[in-house]
Amino acid sequence: MVRQFLCLCVVLCQTAGAVESLAPQTQWIPDNAVLCVELSNPKALIDMLTSDTAFGALQKVPLYQTRNTNPKFKEFLTGVKFLEAALETSWKTAIRKLTGGGITLAVCPDDLVILMVDAEDADLLTRLHNIVLTMVRTEADNQGHSDRVASAEYLGVTGWSFDGKEAHAIIGHRLIFANKPEALKTVLELRARADKVGLASQVRYRAAREATAPDAAGQVYADLATLKQIPDLAAALEQGRANPLAGLLFAGIIESIRDATWMSVGLHVQHDTLAFRAHLDSANLDPKGPAGFALPGKPNEGALPNLSVPGGIASLSFYRDLFRFYGAKDDLFPERTSGLIFFENMMGIFFSGRDLTDEVLAETLPEIRFVVAQQQYDPALGTPQVQIPAFGLILRLRDEQTFDIVAEEAWQKAVGLVNFTRGQQGMPGLIIDRPVHNDTKFTMAYFSTATVDKDTNLPTRFNIRPAIALPHNYLILSSTDGLARDLIDAVTREAQQAVQPANQDHTLAELNGQALTAILRANVRAMVTQNMVEKGNTEEEAKNSIDLLITLAQFVDSVKLSIGTHQSLTRAELALKFNLD
Amino acid sequence: MDTQQTLDPNWAWAPYRPSTEHPWTLARAGHLYRRAAFGANWTQLQQALVHGPRKTIDGLLTPPADLAAFNRTYDDYDRSVGSSESADELRAWWLRRMLLTPCPLLEKMTLFWHSHFAVSNGVVKSAAFMRQYLQLIRSQALGSFHTLVQDMVHDPALLIGMDAIENRKSRPNESLARTLIEDFTLGTGAATDQDIRQAARAFTGNFVRRGRFLFIEREHDDGDKQLFGQTGPFTDKDVISILLEQPATAEHIVHKVYAWLLNEASPPSDSLMAPLTRSFARDYNMSRLVETMLRSNLFFSEACYRQRIKCPVEYALGMVQGLEGMVSTTQLATDLAALGQNLFHPPTLRGWPGKEAWINQATLIQRANLAHALLQGSGPYQGKLDARAILEKYAHTANQPDAQFFADLFLQQAMTPASGESIEQSLYDIVTSPEFNLA
Repeated sequence: MVRQFLCLCVVLCQTAGAVESLAPQTQWIPDNAVLCVELSNPKALIDMLTSDTAFGALQKVPLYQTRNTNPKFKEFLTGVKFLEAALETSWKTAIRKLTGGGITLAVCPDDLVILMVDAEDADLLTRLHNIVLTMVRTEADNQGHSDRVASAEYLGVTGWSFDGKEAHAIIGHRLIFANKPEALKTVLELRARADKVGLASQVRYRAAREATAPDAAGQVYADLATLKQIPDLAAALEQGRANPLAGLLFAGIIESIRDATWMSVGLHVQHDTLAFRAHLDSANLDPKGPAGFALPGKPNEGALPNLSVPGGIASLSFYRDLFRFYGAKDDLFPERTSGLIFFENMMGIFFSGRDLTDEVLAETLPEIRFVVAQQQYDPALGTPQVQIPAFGLILRLRDEQTFDIVAEEAWQKAVGLVNFTRGQQGMPGLIIDRPVHNDTKFTMAYFSTATVDKDTNLPTRFNIRPAIALPHNYLILSSTDGLARDLIDAVTREAQQAVQPANQDHTLAELNGQALTAILRANVRAMVTQNMVEKGNTEEEAKNSIDLLITLAQFVDSVKLSIGTHQSLTRAELALKFNLD
Repeated sequence: MDTQQTLDPNWAWAPYRPSTEHPWTLARAGHLYRRAAFGANWTQLQQALVHGPRKTIDGLLTPPADLAAFNRTYDDYDRSVGSSESADELRAWWLRRMLLTPCPLLEKMTLFWHSHFAVSNGVVKSAAFMRQYLQLIRSQALGSFHTLVQDMVHDPALLIGMDAIENRKSRPNESLARTLIEDFTLGTGAATDQDIRQAARAFTGNFVRRGRFLFIEREHDDGDKQLFGQTGPFTDKDVISILLEQPATAEHIVHKVYAWLLNEASPPSDSLMAPLTRSFARDYNMSRLVETMLRSNLFFSEACYRQRIKCPVEYALGMVQGLEGMVSTTQLATDLAALGQNLFHPPTLRGWPGKEAWINQATLIQRANLAHALLQGSGPYQGKLDARAILEKYAHTANQPDAQFFADLFLQQAMTPASGESIEQSLYDIVTSPEFNLA
C-alpha cells in the first residue's frame, strides 16, 4: 500500500541539475491523442479539496468515520507520515509543490497513457524519487528478488521502470510517466526532434483550446471524430433514432455530438462551485432539418427559465416544437411508424377525433418544462410506504380560449379509462374533484382512504393524485394536486414578470441536492431492502452503502446545466455547487 | 426399478441406524442436506458427521427457536414489495430466505407446495396476493395438508389463478373443482365429470372481491350433492373432507412427496408405499410423513442416492450455500427463470414437470453459464462467492488438496483434477459435473 501510494504520488529521478526551460506539456503529447486532460492550475483544485470546509465535510462520510478500524487506512496513514518526515514538509505542501506547475494526462491510440506533472520544487521531486527507488529496491531485497528497477538512456534522457511495464523519466522539474515504454519514447522523441509535431500544434486541439476561457483551471480535449468510432458510443448516439422520447429530450445534443469533430471542456473553480464549460464544433445543425424542432431560430429564442416550487428536487426546461417534432416523425423514427400510428389513433380518442399534429400539438408553444418535487402528505391520511416525488409537465398554449376545454376533456377521459381498467381488476378508482386555488379552478382526482387500514403505511397509489390546471395560457399536468397548486403559483408569478427565454439555450436543467437528500432519506428503508436483494448485501452493508449515497448527495447544493448554440459553437455549461457546511 | 419393486416396506421405512455395512458418511450427510435443504456448507457437513443422522435430522425437522423471529423479519421484507404488479422482487426475497433461513426444510417444502398448488403471477398480476399465497403455503408446509387445502381454496391468488373469482349457483365454476380433485387431491382419473360438477356446486357462493375472499350466501347452492357415494347439502369444507377420505388422495400426495424427497427416477411399488399412505391418511400430518421418509433406511440407501435431478433453484443455491456467500438474488431469480424455474410463474396449473424436463442441451449450457457467472470474480454477481476464502477457512483443517476439498464439499466423492488446473477451473468442473446436477 505504501509503495502504491508512493508510486502514485510520483516517480522522480535524477539530480536536480540545471533548470531547463521546458516546452508546454501538450507539445510533448502525440498529436493523435484522443483525450487530453490538463490542469494548468492544480492548486485551485487542491486548495478547494484540502480546505477546512472540505475536510469538515469529509468527516461526515460514514466510511471516513470508521477509518481507524480499517487496517488499509492505517497503513496508508503510516506511509503519509513517513513521507512527511522524509521530505520535511506536510503532505498538503508536498502535493502543492510537486504538482503546482501543471498536470497533463493523455490517452492515445493503442492504449497508451501519458501523465506529465510539473513540480514547483525540482529538489523535492528528486528527493521523493530517491525515496521511492530505495523502497522498491529494499522491498525486492526483502522478498529475495533481484533489483527490479531498470534504467536506460534514450535521446539523452534516463528512463526508469519499476516493473518493466511502466516507464518514467524526469526532465528538469517535469515528471513524465507512461504506462508503456514506447509511450515514453514517443514523448522523448517529440521533445528532441523538431520534425515531430505534438498535440499543441494540432489544428483541432488548437481550436478547442481557443474555445476554452483563459481563466480555466483545467481543460479536457476530446477527439470526437475518433472517439465516435467506439462501437458503444456509436450505438448510444443511434439511440435517439430508435426511441422517440430520447429523440425528443436529447434532440440538439445528440445531433451536436454526431456533427462535432472535437470537444473541449474548461474547468473553473470558484469558491464552492466547480463549473464545466463544454464546447463542440457543431454549429452546422440545419434549423430546417428534422432535428430543427429543438433549435431556437431567432436570437432571443430559447428555453424558458426553470420553474421554482417549494421542495423542488429537479426541473427541466426544453425548447422543443412538438408540432414540428411529431410532423417529422417519419424522418426521425422511420422504424417506429406503426407504433406511432397506434399512439396517434389512441390520442384521437382522448382528443375527440382531432388530428394530433395539426389540431393538438400545433396548439402548444415550443416549450416543455418538467418539475419534480417533494410531496407533502396529509398527516390525517398517512404516508405511503414508498414516497415517490411529485412530477409535473408544464406547457403554454397558443389559444387557451379554445384549447383549455379540449385538454380538460382529454384528461377526464384518461382518468375515466384508468378507473375503468382498475375497476376491471377489482381495484379502487379515482374520484374527481374541482377545487379552486388562487382563483384558478383546476381538476384533480384522488383515491379514497375510507377502506385503507389506518395502522399501516398507505399503499403506493397514494403517491398519485393527478391534476390538470389551466391558469393563464399554461397547461399544467401534475401527478399530485399539491404540486399543481405550487405550479399555479409559479406560473402566475412568471406571467406577471413577462419572463424572457434563455438566449439560444435549448436545454436547461437544475437539481437541488438538499431536496434530493430529503427524498432519499424518506425512502431509506425501501432503498436498503432493494440493495440487499440486488447486491446480495447484508442489511448492515446495505445501510452503509445507502448512508454513503445520502452523505454524498448531501454534499451537493445544486447542479445546473444549460445547453445551446453560441458563437457558432454548441456550448454546454454544468455548474456543481457544493454544500460543505 | 426392480430394487424399488422388491423392497421390504418394514426395512425401508425403519429408521436408518449407521452400521459397518451402512456407515454414516460424508456422502450420506451431503445427500440429506441436498434433499432436506438446499445443500450444505463445510461446517454443516462436519457437524452432521459428528452428530450422526438422528440428531442432524432432528435439527432439520425441529424449528429452531429463532425461526419465528427470522420469519417475522422476512415477512416484513416481503411486505416491501408493496402493491406492485410484478413479483420479481418477491421472488428475490424468497431466494434470499431459502439461503438464510434457520429451517431450510420448511422452505424446501414450501417450494414443493408452490409447484403443487401452482399459481402464476402471470395471471394474478399482484405481488401482494402472491405474498399472501406463499405465506399461507409456508404456514402449513410441514403442517396439516387438510388445513392447507381448506385454506388454499379460499386464497385470492389461487382463485384468480384458477379463473375462479366467481362461483355462482346459476353457473358453478368447474375449473377450481377439477383442479382441486385432479391435481390437488385425488389425482388424474380418480373422479368422473359428474363428481366434478357436483363438487363445483359446493363451491358456489365463493367470490374474490377487491382482493379478498368473500362468501355470498345467496349465490351458494345449498341443495343436495352426490359425491363418492355420499349425499348431502355439502359445502366446500365438506367436499374437501370427502376428498381426503378417499384413499387416492393420500396415495397421490405421498407419491409426490416421495418423488420430491427420495426418488423420482423409479416409481415405488404399492406395497412399499402402503404403510406411509395409511399413516398419512389418518390425519394428513405432513411433518410426520416427511420425518418418516427422511429418517428411513430407504432414504439413505443406494436406491435413493442421486435419484433426482436438481431443479434450478437447488442447483444454484447449492453452490451459494457451499461457498457461504450471498449473491444478488434479483439477478439469480432472473437467471433461474431462464433455466426454466421462474418462481411465482409455474408454467401450468400442474406446476413444473421437473425430472428430466429440467435437463436438455440448452439448459445444461445455461446451468454451466450460471455456474461461471456465480464463480467469476466480476460480472452480474460481483464476485460475491469467494472460493479461495473458503479454502483458506477450511482447507487446512480438511488437510487435503484444494480440488479434493471442493469435491468433498459439493459432491462428497473422490475426484482427480486435470493437471495444472486452477482452483477456479477445478471448482467449475465440479459444479458442472453430472453428479452435481443430481440431488
